[in-house]
Amino acid sequence: MPIPNGGLITETNRQYYAGAQQFYIDAAGAGKTFTSTFNTDLIFGSSDPLNNNYILNNFKIYTSSDALNWLELTPSAAVANTTVIAPIAGLAVLNPVETNQTMTILVANDNVVPGMLIQNAAGNVTYGTVVSVVDNKNFIVNIVVSVPAANPGTSLSLKSASPWSVVGNIVTVASYLALGTYLKIQMNKNAIEDNYGSYEYTRLVDAIDNFLIAYVGPGKLIPSVKRSDVIFHAKRGLQEFSYDTLRSIKSQELTVNSALNVIIPQDYVNYTRLSWIDEMGVQHTIFPANTLTTNPYENPVQDDLGVPTQDSKDSNITGTSQTDAAWAANNPRRISGAFLNEYDNANLLYNSLYDTALGQRYGLNPPTSQKNGWFTINEREGKFSFSSDLAEKLITLEYISDGNAYDLDVRIPKLAEEALYAHILYAILSVTRGIQEYIVRRFKQERSAKLRNAKIRLSNLKSDQLIQVMRGKSKWLKF
Amino acid sequence: MAINVNTVYQTVLLILNKEQRGYMTPVEFNKIGNQAQLEIFETYFDSLNQQLRVPQTNVDYADRVVNIDEKISIFKTSGVATYSAPYFSLPKESGVAQSTETISTVINQQAYTYTALTSGQLSNGTVQVYFDGVLQPSSAYTINNNIITLTNSPTSVFTVLTVVDSNDFYRLGTVSYKIGALNSQELERVTKSELYHLLSSKLTKPSTTYPIYTYENQQITVYPTSIQSGITIDYIRKPLSPIWNFSLSGNAYVYNSNTSVNFELHDADQTELILKILLYAGVVIKSPEIIQVAAQQVAQENINQQR
Repeated sequence: MPIPNGGLITETNRQYYAGAQQFYIDAAGAGKTFTSTFNTDLIFGSSDPLNNNYILNNFKIYTSSDALNWLELTPSAAVANTTVIAPIAGLAVLNPVETNQTMTILVANDNVVPGMLIQNAAGNVTYGTVVSVVDNKNFIVNIVVSVPAANPGTSLSLKSASPWSVVGNIVTVASYLALGTYLKIQMNKNAIEDNYGSYEYTRLVDAIDNFLIAYVGPGKLIPSVKRSDVIFHAKRGLQEFSYDTLRSIKSQELTVNSALNVIIPQDYVNYTRLSWIDEMGVQHTIFPANTLTTNPYENPVQDDLGVPTQDSKDSNITGTSQTDAAWAANNPRRISGAFLNEYDNANLLYNSLYDTALGQRYGLNPPTSQKNGWFTINEREGKFSFSSDLAEKLITLEYISDGNAYDLDVRIPKLAEEALYAHILYAILSVTRGIQEYIVRRFKQERSAKLRNAKIRLSNLKSDQLIQVMRGKSKWLKF
Repeated sequence: MAINVNTVYQTVLLILNKEQRGYMTPVEFNKIGNQAQLEIFETYFDSLNQQLRVPQTNVDYADRVVNIDEKISIFKTSGVATYSAPYFSLPKESGVAQSTETISTVINQQAYTYTALTSGQLSNGTVQVYFDGVLQPSSAYTINNNIITLTNSPTSVFTVLTVVDSNDFYRLGTVSYKIGALNSQELERVTKSELYHLLSSKLTKPSTTYPIYTYENQQITVYPTSIQSGITIDYIRKPLSPIWNFSLSGNAYVYNSNTSVNFELHDADQTELILKILLYAGVVIKSPEIIQVAAQQVAQENINQQR
């Protein structure tokens, strides 16, 4: 079904897979508008690649005469940057300078559109602007620097500084588009990839609208409610679900610096796992140091009597942490008791002589008997700190956010959508005056049941995977 | 969908004359008719509120909420709010209540007196003046009371068309925001005290997806303040004032349907309207019996409607 036909899918296959929406120009002209129907809203900074705001765009505009060879529509494109033969007599500056006049050219040119700058061929002198177009030979222009009289053959360059613009997903193309040509909105790679798999989610705005439609109104338990209340409970619900129900999809690939730390991500709420990556790309879980060490939150400098000292502004003078320094200088193998085996990867076929000595030491302490390193969270500096064996190592940080940090986050997996409705419903009823307690309790139970269902659904327990794991249950020895 | 003003007037006269109690002049009727119409009109909103609180049947024609909404729908309209920082002004004229008058100029005469347009209409409505069909800027004329004075003395004869759109805004409904091809968003109405909390909370801070507004002094202030266009107002307009207009034929009033204005209420309210007018007519002609009978009928009708 490549064409959306009234279902929840509103993008064509081409829009989804290739990120492209194409239009046929069935009537020539300038100032045409094209409505984008992508799931992703168009973000517009500038149509000029030389403008700093151009990088804000999440799409490009292309034109083509055959729908095969596409040319990006920029101020330097042929339709936006055309050349005409200058009027032989030139054009004077009128008094007052705001007065418009007619410029007539010898050779008809369809590409001249209102708003174009009139410049010399070199483009370093601007004579004025095109105010309006009478026909393809006569234009109403406003001249601010007189156009010199020219011999036949002298050219003027007419440029559109902004050949197109966007307001509310409607692209307005100022440049002239010829009959039978094509225009294409092409989303950027990031925008396309952000949209891939988005059918798995319902946007929070849709969930809020759906809730207001289905659960609020005359004759219902909630006859009326402030929309801001629904927004609040929906966002709070998304936050709560993010902590323990929704899948953790946030992760960063980082390198531990020589100071043995990485900065906590901006939208970080809690970590789910830190791993270091070996040369095979296999991850090895880094464990929290927990009781082994800590990062003191304050390091006041003490005098000889042990009293913290203050500066001239009466605040404690702080020094560097001795604990942090000692831990950074420590070789974790002195804690784990690991042999000096440098073959730190997951290759099963990679054995060494040292491995024959494995298991000879008595009294292993399981929590410290690992060689993947340790991390602590340095709340004072807002960083993750690592043990010295992880210096310069590639790590991955998997963490959870609260689902409200960025626009793209503000969505709920469809598997948990019903649980969100139940959450909002319960949250509103529980604070509404006059609702009987048994009704509140009913919806509390319903919320709990639906949330449990959502957790099970999102756990992704697949029977064949369980079978595969359980096949090893009777093996005594595992490598 | 309007109640014919002549039918109502004739029925009222018939009942009054049948009882041999007096006569109601067209001027009295027009004023009482307007009063009765506004009274019934205002009851729509209270009735709707009342009916929304009781269970309804969804059988055709029996749903009272739908029936009342049908009556109100006659007056539902919408318009674009104009931005003048930092407020949006409400649309004041739906264009339904429009009055016009055409004057032919006399060479070298600058001042003309309106005969059809009243000074009240001119001062309360939006006035547009056309010279031979061309809309004129306000600098081309001045209007004081019911006299228009042209800025330039006319050197030829031309027509001056004056169009007055009366301010008929009655009750604010839904305020929505739409820009380009993006989905239309309804704005939530909040009080000033709520506004401060909403603006302070990161979770509920208004956005272009969820904009809010405050409503004060016929102006709305929209948040976020980056919204400066694309605001549409759905509102209820006032009903047109009924006019039973006439021409004199001897001593008799002859109904003129062309210049008369019908009641705009729903046809279903014709009986109640007549009873209400009779009620006031009873007061005018000092007939307690008429008042009593009409009041009883009105009360009985209200009971039936709300049972």
